[in-house]
Amino acid sequence: MAEASGCAGPFIRYFCTAGRGLEPFLLREVEYVSGKVFFTTNSELSKLKKLKSGERLFLLLKKHAPISPSRNKGKVFNEIQKLVIEDPRCWLDIISIWKRLRGNKVEQGNLSKENPESLKRKSEEEISIIRKKQKREQILERVSDECHVEEQKKSVILETNNMDFLTERKTFLEETSESRIEKSVDSNNHSFSFRVSCRCSGAIAKVFTSQEVGRVLGITLIKQLGWKADLRNPDLELFVHLNDIYSVVGIPVFRLPLANREYIQTAGLRSTVAWAMASLAEISTGAFVLDPMCGLGTILLEAAKEWPNVHYLGADINDSQLQGAHENIKAAGLMDKIELLKASVIALPLPSESVDVVISDIPFGKKFKITKDIKLLPNILREMERVLHVGGTVVLLVSQDLHKHMGGCISNCVENDTSLNATSDNKNGAAVVKDLNPKEENGSPRSISSSIKGVETEHFNNVTCFGSLAAVESYGVSLGKTDAFIYKYRKMPAAGMQ
Amino acid sequence: MKLLTHNMLTSHVRGVRPGGGFPLRIQATEVKVNNVDFNQEFVARMIPKVEWGALVEAAESLGHLSDLPHELPPEYENNEDFLRKVHHVLLEVEVMEGILKCPDSGREFPITKGIPNMLLSEEET
Repeated sequence: MAEASGCAGPFIRYFCTAGRGLEPFLLREVEYVSGKVFFTTNSELSKLKKLKSGERLFLLLKKHAPISPSRNKGKVFNEIQKLVIEDPRCWLDIISIWKRLRGNKVEQGNLSKENPESLKRKSEEEISIIRKKQKREQILERVSDECHVEEQKKSVILETNNMDFLTERKTFLEETSESRIEKSVDSNNHSFSFRVSCRCSGAIAKVFTSQEVGRVLGITLIKQLGWKADLRNPDLELFVHLNDIYSVVGIPVFRLPLANREYIQTAGLRSTVAWAMASLAEISTGAFVLDPMCGLGTILLEAAKEWPNVHYLGADINDSQLQGAHENIKAAGLMDKIELLKASVIALPLPSESVDVVISDIPFGKKFKITKDIKLLPNILREMERVLHVGGTVVLLVSQDLHKHMGGCISNCVENDTSLNATSDNKNGAAVVKDLNPKEENGSPRSISSSIKGVETEHFNNVTCFGSLAAVESYGVSLGKTDAFIYKYRKMPAAGMQ
Repeated sequence: MKLLTHNMLTSHVRGVRPGGGFPLRIQATEVKVNNVDFNQEFVARMIPKVEWGALVEAAESLGHLSDLPHELPPEYENNEDFLRKVHHVLLEVEVMEGILKCPDSGREFPITKGIPNMLLSEEET
């Protein structure tokens, strides 16, 4: 990575949403973050775009203490208005930074290509509210604008109430014409169009709906800064999240979530979780990496994009899954790196001790009856253990249902998920992102900071093993509808077993 | 199926002698040659993992030996000319259609669209 040239310009504060349980992984990518992953960096956007475990990236506009939910609605509205009125200079500063970033933005390329198949494991909750904004927010038609070449965008904002990340599904047409934004911003100083996307959770959500809060903020901005509301095709989108821990206002940096990978055509597993698994697997140059239940190949795709000089092999027993994986690999241009095989995970056509890394999403609890899976699980682990080199790693994703039944099978050592407390916040201000390349020179993942490592290993004091597979660490992560666990094992030498 | 992958495949059909399921004989009906970017370090690191004799045999049976010696030469790490040949055989030659045959049991595994079907029935495992 071009370190020197990649770090130009002043430090800017951002925050990035992450799926529950993925904060520690995002933390490794930005070196220091906490809570909702707030950080300060002077890295260029092209580098920030490569963050792999985050959902969406925002410019941080305001972060305040939580708004206390009083019965006196007027009082609360005043507090919400303060977010805007208190320090208008700050708003204007951030807007000019945002303008500069947009101006400098590296070629958007495939960014506008929406991936309709991603996020397969969508939660019921996610199908939630389609927000219809009130008419009195003055939808402005700007037909007369001479630069107005593009079609109207239709946008639907889906909100999640009890998930830690926000997933927006939009049908984007073309990028808003840059020149038009510049023109409208410059011609009338700071008067341009905006839309508020608001999310309330915790105590405040019991008193106000997101719509109410969004409306209060919107009206305040119109009055205070002279901006215009435009729900359909705004120059700027404001993201507001009010909960029990903080009040945050931000501006999305990219139109699409970071989690939408332009190189993945059809995602099986959530891309961020797949990347997180690969990042734990200690994949080094020249390694032989096997996913014995590869499905659509998402883990292999994420791994091969990040650690390319490796031989990847994906096996599955299902022809249609293999076909899907083949198409994905082809579309991602990774035919050179990833090979496919039809084979069973409990009878792999590989010699013993021939594989450096086994990495897999154990799909049980979704397609199969859990009772049947339990009987298969020891066979699966035994076969993984057989093909693995001593010193090699196994990284598995296990559903919560299976996790509950795993006690007798693998270990009791990972009862608690070790994900960081997603609600803690960084009171000390943010540290600096020095390097967003999550690899060391040998291609293995950067080690996690010592404080977190302590948290993880604590749970492994009473490590139990499956044969020669010793548990190393585990993470609880969210798959949307369900929770799951990433387990990491290392194959110990037979002599080292006690 | 690239020959790198072939070099790692073995048959575990019930009754096969230990180690007898390797290397699988290739009967190819369609072979494709792709262009793959050469990465010297990667190839040098893969060679120790490869069963050299099996690779040479497989390449020869496909008519793509590319002058590979039957014995692995010493100090090949910096021999770019040699590594390029190995690169070609390991990664660029691809069996698209054909059969893999277990040398011990004679069990045949079809290769379709480049994907070997190594699935065994329950009775075979």
